[in-house]
Amino acid sequence: MLVIEDDDRIRTSLVLALEEEGYAVRAAATGEEGLIAQRREPADTVLVDLMLPGIDGFECIRQLRRSDDVPIVVISAREDTHDIVAALEAGADDYLVKPVKVKELSARLRALRRRARALTTEAVRSLRFGELEVRPEAGEVRLSGNPVAVTRTEFQLLCELAEHPGQVLSRTQLLQRVWQYDGGDERLVDVHVGRLRHKIESDSSTPRHLVTVRGLGYKLQP
Amino acid sequence: MRQPGLRARITAGFAAGALCLAMIMAVLSYQITRHSLLREREDTAVRAASYDAAIVRAGIRTTQPDIAEILSSIDTGENRRVVLHYNGRWYGRTADPGITSAVPVDLQQRAGEGHTAIQRIRLAGEPTLVVAVPVADTTTYYEVDSLQELDRTLQLVSLILTLVAIGTALIGAALGWYAGRYVMRPVARVTQAARDIAAGQVQARLDPATEPDLAQLTRSFNDMVDQLAARLEKDRRFAADVSHELRSPLQTLAAAASVLTRGKERLDTRTATAAGLVADEVERFQALVEDLLSLSRGERPAERGAVDVRELAGQVCRARELSEEVISVEGPRVWLIDRRRVEQLLVNLLDNADAYGGGPIAVRFAIQGCDGVIEVDDDGPGVSPDDRVVIFDRFVRGRAAHARANSYGTGLGLALVAQHATAHGGTTTVLDRPGGGARFRVTLTGCLP
Repeated sequence: MLVIEDDDRIRTSLVLALEEEGYAVRAAATGEEGLIAQRREPADTVLVDLMLPGIDGFECIRQLRRSDDVPIVVISAREDTHDIVAALEAGADDYLVKPVKVKELSARLRALRRRARALTTEAVRSLRFGELEVRPEAGEVRLSGNPVAVTRTEFQLLCELAEHPGQVLSRTQLLQRVWQYDGGDERLVDVHVGRLRHKIESDSSTPRHLVTVRGLGYKLQP
Repeated sequence: MRQPGLRARITAGFAAGALCLAMIMAVLSYQITRHSLLREREDTAVRAASYDAAIVRAGIRTTQPDIAEILSSIDTGENRRVVLHYNGRWYGRTADPGITSAVPVDLQQRAGEGHTAIQRIRLAGEPTLVVAVPVADTTTYYEVDSLQELDRTLQLVSLILTLVAIGTALIGAALGWYAGRYVMRPVARVTQAARDIAAGQVQARLDPATEPDLAQLTRSFNDMVDQLAARLEKDRRFAADVSHELRSPLQTLAAAASVLTRGKERLDTRTATAAGLVADEVERFQALVEDLLSLSRGERPAERGAVDVRELAGQVCRARELSEEVISVEGPRVWLIDRRRVEQLLVNLLDNADAYGGGPIAVRFAIQGCDGVIEVDDDGPGVSPDDRVVIFDRFVRGRAAHARANSYGTGLGLALVAQHATAHGGTTTVLDRPGGGARFRVTLTGCLP
């Protein structure tokens, strides 16, 4: 695991606490350092602060995302909707506001790693929604036969919806099943749905497959 | 009593003014018309009577005058009737004693003095004109002339004038209404701007050029909004800074405390106790900071969206390992509310019930009209009437027997509940639950579309 955090004390304490929890942790004090460390030896999860000297957290997330589908968790003192949505849109998988209890952080990381591991099982099914094809076991999404690059969280979200074709899943249910949140920030779902739409819909502002059911949630349809 | 609005008052003023003017004009016109019509009518009557009297005078010069013959030779038309007082006797064309008795005594006297006289009387309820023309020493010719036609004309005139007065008043009211709108327009703009600002659009300003008369008001208003916006921005930045400055060290503390807690077995008893205290207090401090930051954010308006309250309550209960059987929902499940606020409100009410009321025993949701009502019942000792006033204030803690209440509560939970209710235009009250315990009731307005 990689921790990118400029505040020495927070970084040190997080590294200590996460090591106590049993993770192998490396740390970086700037976004640039973090990117180099990740390129040299990819970690399986990245924990990143938003306010960093040099390239900021948002840019850092974008650059990490460009080359990798590694789960990224933002941990920031900023709690404005604007920052949260921007970080998620940049490609983060989860957003936690400081101070985070280590137990909580650990639970979030476990949920992300479970998602990451779920891709390795065998046996291949194919779920079709018009020109959209989802293969849960293969970890593949195809649009008219062409593979679509999605992150692990996006994939997990798409699978949940694909496993229940035409059925409305509420944001709460999706938070529970994808992020393992019992209650949590619904913006996580909304932003991830938005990101998915950009990838699988021909026109993301008028979605055909991944539709919003007002007041209830989302559903996937052919 | 409610004061009527400015616009209503302007309209009423215009209407009353118009009515007054119209009434004065109507009365004057009526009087002038009536006077001139009557004068004309009297002149005509006198002229006709004089002419007729000349015929009578010629008729009675003969030695044996046939009075009836003379009278019937006079062409009087339909309205006029003739009466002759001749040598102490009354003569008429029709056998109508009412006519002779209708001739007033003072008119007879004046005629007796040798003057042509005229008098208006009412005869059998009809306005009537009596003209007396002395014919000879002992003979007076009278014409009784009905004024009913004139009276009808005057009635028609008065009706028309009344209608015109009412019409004028209505036009006045319409003018007043329009003028009111015109006058109120800048006020309406100020109102709209104030409303926008209250809704959070602090960039709303008035244009001083559009209303030169109100330039002073516009400038003061804009100055006020500028200052308000600056203060809001300062407050916001301060809150953000405080938030950041508090959150960062707390993060270090939280992580370090978790290391201490994990490594407790490796410490001696005294150090372990101290580490436990540090960890507990860090947690409490964290809760306090969260609540304080929530409170400082709470002045903002609620961000409403459609929320399934049954699901929300279920999730809150599950997170607290509380049976979902306590939840009941009456009416629609989907409310228009700020999810985060109502979630925190529920959590805090349940925490409160846990800490002071022996745990929640019922969580009810109901719709009354358009308002959502949330009730949380507990099985505790209830809240004394003295405490009910202050219980929603900041840093007020209940005098409960439960020891753990003293160690974990931030004293801000119910203040936050009240604030979230206020953000929804609602209220918070605490009542006695029938059968003992307290009942916290939160009303949120406008929960249905």
